[in-house]
Amino acid sequence: MADKKVLFKIKRQASPSAEPVWEEFELNWHPGMNVISSLMEIAANPQTKDGKTTAPVTYDSNCLEEVCGSCAMLINGRARMACSALIDKLEQPIRIEPLSKFPVVRDLAVDRSVLFENLKAVKAWVPVDGTYDLGSGPRQSMQNQEMTYPLSRCISCCCCMEVCPQFNEDTGFVGAAAISQVRLFNAHPTGAALKQDRLAALMGDGGIQECGYAQNCVEICPKDIPLTQSISQVAGDVMKQAITDLFRK
Amino acid sequence: MAATASSPAVPQAKAGVAPLRAGQGHSFLLRRLHSLTGIIPVGAFLFEHILVSNATAISGPAAYAHQVRFLASLPLVPVLELFGVWLPILFHAIVGFYIWYRGDANLVAYPWAGNWMYTLQRWTGGIAFVYILWHTYTMRFTGIDLHEHPGASFGKVQNEVVAPLLLAFYAVGLIAASWHFAYGIWLFCAKWGITPGEKAQKRLLVACLGFFLVLSGVGLASLTSFRSHPQQPTDPAGARIVEMGPGATE
Repeated sequence: MADKKVLFKIKRQASPSAEPVWEEFELNWHPGMNVISSLMEIAANPQTKDGKTTAPVTYDSNCLEEVCGSCAMLINGRARMACSALIDKLEQPIRIEPLSKFPVVRDLAVDRSVLFENLKAVKAWVPVDGTYDLGSGPRQSMQNQEMTYPLSRCISCCCCMEVCPQFNEDTGFVGAAAISQVRLFNAHPTGAALKQDRLAALMGDGGIQECGYAQNCVEICPKDIPLTQSISQVAGDVMKQAITDLFRK
Repeated sequence: MAATASSPAVPQAKAGVAPLRAGQGHSFLLRRLHSLTGIIPVGAFLFEHILVSNATAISGPAAYAHQVRFLASLPLVPVLELFGVWLPILFHAIVGFYIWYRGDANLVAYPWAGNWMYTLQRWTGGIAFVYILWHTYTMRFTGIDLHEHPGASFGKVQNEVVAPLLLAFYAVGLIAASWHFAYGIWLFCAKWGITPGEKAQKRLLVACLGFFLVLSGVGLASLTSFRSHPQQPTDPAGARIVEMGPGATE
């Protein structure tokens, strides 16, 4: 068992403007390895397969249990969370690359601030800020809680955007995650105050109309959020809003 | 510059995909019109064209001529053609190619059913459009005018599909257009929020697949009937005989 090896091919990039290069790393196999634990081992002993000393691989990660959303990367060509990518279930050599649709900061760390901007653009929050205590909010029905809970599990990993054929620099599509958050906050009794603002925002360029219904988002989502259902639901709400605006504004 | 209420700090995109441009542009209108024209009038026309008009070819040359005469007798035919068929198809196609161009298909990395449909919808649309250009050019703008001589319709189509390659082209164009419309109905219902639920989407998918089979089946049956009948005349005198029967000769 001791001589069983695991081979990695990692795409590295020293700076946002540097040319990417591939480096190979070899680790001793042991039970329960995942991609993040392997990157930690490489950091502890940053040597390529050929024995050349190199800089430790830069990557984002935090919770190590698929709830923080930071370690999304391309593993064997597919977007997924590195912490839940078990080595024993991956084909070798294991190819690791940064997400392809977000600017690389360094190595596997990418700038996903576009999602934060999109969440701000659709006002993905419950408006309760004020100068005095507003008291407790309205009660939510059990049915509403059951509908919204799955939507609240979004970890902002951006996998849904990475795999979307419509999410690119030509379209500037907002992506499934932000649309699903619109559904979540519109369904909240207090959050609904901003419903019209959110729906209007999604009519802008790069809005919900750019969805081509390839449905990759719902397939890739590590949290099993019903994203296509959210897009369809919100698209219907946007359409109703557009027609209402046409006759009433 | 400090952010104020009148000029908020607009985030400057460094690189990569731009954030949502809330309140800007007209792409929403454009995309929704594209989606709508696919159903009405383009889809509605295709429904009529395959399941009503061309299906009469199965009943033979006289029935076919009768249907063409009825269509030619509709009021303001050139206006109906221009605003009910040609311009909507042209709009749907041009916007469609633009949508195709802007998307980045990734079927190799993510070969899932929905992603297949996404790519297939673009290819079937492209094939159908090339076919429609050819079909409209040959049937409407070359040879004998069928509005003047409805009786020549059957023979004119027969001449068109005599060459095996052209027959194959007709079959492929028919199947591509049928698929594009049938799955287009599914897409329309998903995109307009008519069928958001998983079960509803599955049920509708089955219905749309069934509709595709009906459309392409009836279309292929009509196509076959042009090959199984003896060659019909395409000259004005012969056309009159097809339409009115042998006694109609002067």
